Amino acid sequence: MTGSRRGLLKKTLAGAALLATAGAVPVALRRTKLREIPGGRTLHFFTPAEYSIWAAVADRILAEEKPSGAPTASQLDIAGRADIFLAPLPDADRKDLKQLLALFDNALFSVLRGGPPRTFTSMSDEEQDAHIRSWQTSRLAIQRTGYQAMKRLCCALYFSAPETYAAVGYPGPPYDLVRSVLGVRR
Amino acid sequence: MIHQGSDKDLVLKPDVCIAGSGPGGAMIASRLSRAGASVVVLEEGGYHTKEEFDMQEATAYPRLYQDRGNRATADLSIQVLQGRAVGGGTVVNWTTSYRTPDHVLEHWRRADGLPLTPEILRPHFEEVEQRLGISKVQYDDTNPNNRTIYDGCKKLGWQVDTTSRNVRQCLRTGYCGMGCPVDAKQSATLTYLPDAVNAGAEIYADCRAEKIEWQGKRARAVIGAFLKPGTQEATGRTVRVEPRVVVVAGGAINSPVLLLRSGLDSGPVGKNTWLHPVVALGAFYDEKIEGFYGAPQSVASHHFARREEGAGFFIEAAPVHPMLASIAMPGFGAPLRAKMAMLPSVCATIALMIDGFDAGENGGTVTVRDGGGPKLDYPFTDRMYECFRAGMKAIARIHLANGAREIVSFHAEPISIRSEGDLARIDQAPLGPNRFAVFTAHQMGGCRMGSDPARSVVNPQLRHHQVENLFVVDGSVFPTSLGVNPMESIYGLASWASAHVRTAAG
Repeated sequence: MTGSRRGLLKKTLAGAALLATAGAVPVALRRTKLREIPGGRTLHFFTPAEYSIWAAVADRILAEEKPSGAPTASQLDIAGRADIFLAPLPDADRKDLKQLLALFDNALFSVLRGGPPRTFTSMSDEEQDAHIRSWQTSRLAIQRTGYQAMKRLCCALYFSAPETYAAVGYPGPPYDLVRSVLGVRR
Repeated sequence: MIHQGSDKDLVLKPDVCIAGSGPGGAMIASRLSRAGASVVVLEEGGYHTKEEFDMQEATAYPRLYQDRGNRATADLSIQVLQGRAVGGGTVVNWTTSYRTPDHVLEHWRRADGLPLTPEILRPHFEEVEQRLGISKVQYDDTNPNNRTIYDGCKKLGWQVDTTSRNVRQCLRTGYCGMGCPVDAKQSATLTYLPDAVNAGAEIYADCRAEKIEWQGKRARAVIGAFLKPGTQEATGRTVRVEPRVVVVAGGAINSPVLLLRSGLDSGPVGKNTWLHPVVALGAFYDEKIEGFYGAPQSVASHHFARREEGAGFFIEAAPVHPMLASIAMPGFGAPLRAKMAMLPSVCATIALMIDGFDAGENGGTVTVRDGGGPKLDYPFTDRMYECFRAGMKAIARIHLANGAREIVSFHAEPISIRSEGDLARIDQAPLGPNRFAVFTAHQMGGCRMGSDPARSVVNPQLRHHQVENLFVVDGSVFPTSLGVNPMESIYGLASWASAHVRTAAG
């Protein structure tokens, strides 16, 4: 579970080049496909566009081959949970993570890396999976770091939610045992 | 008394100020308080008791771990599990307790001029073992996640044994890493810190030691900032502690960064940080393992601890709770979900690289990042890659010998191992930062002890080479890693060093 870190993007040569690429993209190609924020609640860390990117990433990171009955990433509002979790991040980390998300959803960057000329949020499920995989296995360390940041936090927020325990066969903590023993020991 | 924050600025003038309340700080606080010294402890983490330990990962990691469970090397290639609470890592560790191995002490004597011998440390370890209830686990009390390691090693003819644990009346719930819900684990919060408080020590929780003020050869004051509980955010209230002796005991990442923030940068401060870097494999069995229950760590193999072909490693188990497992498991989407759905039948086995024993090894480096917190870098090397591959193959062999259905590596593109013939694929899989999962739960070094001021930060008595009323007493002083879980070594070393601190405090 982690966020982006340490001015990493701006401090590496590859990162600087990536950011330059992101900045050079025409506005039309940078447009994120927005999602509705559940309950219209106030965001603490993300902009509406960043929230939408994270929600799209979480949907694919946590996708099942076929529905098992477990809650989806959207149903648990993993992007909303990430927004709350990331809110206390120090300024340098906030900036880093926001730059990462902008790059991840950048259509020109997708093209340069052999992907479709669309923002991540506008891609099909298959295209999104390929896009994530290209970051996961990239020769550029900075992309692999970005993938880990997103994957770890999505997984941490989803699989630590008690609503998902049944889907992984986890019965949950043994509260009855603990209560009974504490009662006796008191 | 344990204070939780303060609603006013404070100025305190005790004999001793200790920054950090993990095993090193807690032991010094206990020893010095009981010897009659007035002691103040500053701890940036909160004070938590069993009533708050709800056994939920979503609660425990943000509350009890550094950076809310989010600590990692700067490039995210190594995930750092490190406690942050009154009691430090002893609140969340998995209770595995070892004395410092004799050959490690011998290496330190030879390479760093240290006086420590098994005989010198023995009475200290004996007292610690008695106080913490450290005793050896019986085979029948191991859970399947650990027992598979034991049984597999036995079938291969490899060294293996049960570990010792610091518990009393343990229920073996499996939740040591989230704070013991029944006070079975004998953390510092239940042992040495209450001893200190009963002898008059004052512990300030939610209070970060920001800086040591010093001049010439004397430390004048420690400046602490009170924090909003569970955050890094300052309340605006401060404490100024003007002691006769300062003891830095923040652990292997926070201690060097406190010295660096204070301008105490002579010697290799923050250098030679050792992590016991961990690689893991998941072994899937036909029967239920339920690695989320039972004593999380009760078996270890040191069969490969002293290899001639490269860095040694040792093998242990890791608990299998959903969040931690999902972070380690490779891939995303449907393949990840399919593996996670088999959580009750997976063993998580780890190989911990024993770093710091090769003359060419530099380990990690801690520096100060923007905002004053620590930045940790730990570059991977060919020596590490060789060790990681050897560790993965050893884990796979243990589970193949024990009849696992499938063993899965944690590479970005995972390797499935079903027979001895698949092991060669581990050698072929690309390694590199974020190409496979690496963790650390043992942070050591960064303020190494030694007789040469150019190669060490504190002297063999743990006194700072330059500032004579400043000591560092925690895992950061280790010149190398240990090759065993470090908690008992830190307690034992601190017990030994307490006499030197007491002399300095007058």
